[in-house]
Amino acid sequence: MKEDINFERLYYENYNIVVRICLGYLKGNESLAQDLAQEVFVKVWESLGGFKGNSKLSTWIYRITVNTCLLELRKKKYTSDKNIEDIAEINNTEVDARKENQLKKLHGCIQHLSVEKKALILLEMEDVPQKEIADILGLSHEVVRTRIHRIKNNLKKCILNGNI
Amino acid sequence: MEIFENLKNDWQNQSHQIPSDKEFKMVKNKIKAVKSKQRIMNVILLATVSILVFFFFYVSAYTQSRMIWGLTLMIVPLLVRVTIELFSIRKLNKVNRGIASKAFKDILRKYYKLRKQIHFVVTPILVGLYIYGFTMLLPFFKKELSTGFYNYIVVSSVVILIVLSIFIIKEIRKELLFLSEIKLN
Repeated sequence: MKEDINFERLYYENYNIVVRICLGYLKGNESLAQDLAQEVFVKVWESLGGFKGNSKLSTWIYRITVNTCLLELRKKKYTSDKNIEDIAEINNTEVDARKENQLKKLHGCIQHLSVEKKALILLEMEDVPQKEIADILGLSHEVVRTRIHRIKNNLKKCILNGNI
Repeated sequence: MEIFENLKNDWQNQSHQIPSDKEFKMVKNKIKAVKSKQRIMNVILLATVSILVFFFFYVSAYTQSRMIWGLTLMIVPLLVRVTIELFSIRKLNKVNRGIASKAFKDILRKYYKLRKQIHFVVTPILVGLYIYGFTMLLPFFKKELSTGFYNYIVVSSVVILIVLSIFIIKEIRKELLFLSEIKLN
C-alpha cells in the first residue's frame, strides 16, 4: 500500500486542514501549529505501511492528526502568538479585525473543552461529514450528532458570556 | 444556531495555510532524522544492556567489597531508570496513530497507568537503593577525604537529591494531569 501512495501529493492536498486542526488545539498559535503539522506528516509517512485502505485516506490522516494533537497536549498549555494589536495592524479594515477578534475568542473557548469535544468541534468546523467524524473518533453517528449539538450551544454561551 | 454558523464561517475564512516546498523539504529531513534516531536508540539500548550485564559479572567477582556494592547500588538503579525511560518513549512512539481516537485514548490510558506504577512503585525503590548505596560509601569518603570535602559531598548530594526529586515530581504531576484529562471522556 505504501508504494501506491504519493506522499508528496498527500502532503499538499491535506496540509491546510491538518494545520487548521492543529491551530484549534494550540490556541491559534500558527508557528507551533505548522511545527505540529510537520510532526503529523512524519507520523503519516511512518504509518503508511499500516494503512489498509479500510477507510478514506483523508479520514486516516485526520485520525493521525487528532491523535498527534492529543499527545501534544501533555506537553504544555499554549498561548496564541497573535495579540489584538497585531491583528489590527495586519487587517486594515475594522471588519477583519472584528473577525480575527472573534476567532481569537473562539480559540480561547475551544481550549475549555475536553479533548474529545475539541476534536469533534474542530472537525465539524472544517466541514468534515459527521459520519466521517464518527469514523475518525470511533463513536457512533448518533453520539457525534448529539454531542456536536451540545458543544455548539456551549461555544455560543462561551462567546457571548466568556465562559462555558 | 445563527451565531454558530457565523463562527463557522469566520473559522473557514481564516487565513488559508499554503504548503511550501521548503516546508515539505523540512518534513523529508525530519523523516530522515527519525530513521537515524531509531538506529541510534537501538545502539544506546544495546550498549546500556551490555554495560549492565558486564557490570554484573564484574561486580560478582568482588562480592566481599562493600565499596563495590555501594557503587553498584548507585549505578544500577540509575541505568535501570534510564532504560525504563527509553523503553517508555519507544513504546509511546510505536503506538499506531492511524486508529480511531477512542481506541487510541484507551491505549494511552493503559500506558499512563503503567507509567503511574513506574513512578509510584519502581522509582521510589530505585531511589531508595541509590541512597542506600550512597550511605554505604560514606565511611570510605570519610576515611579517604578531608573533612571539608566530605561535608561538601554530603551536603551537595542532599541538594541534588532534593532538586532531582522536585523535577521528577513536576514531571509526574504533568503526566497524571494528562491521564485525568483523557480519563474525562
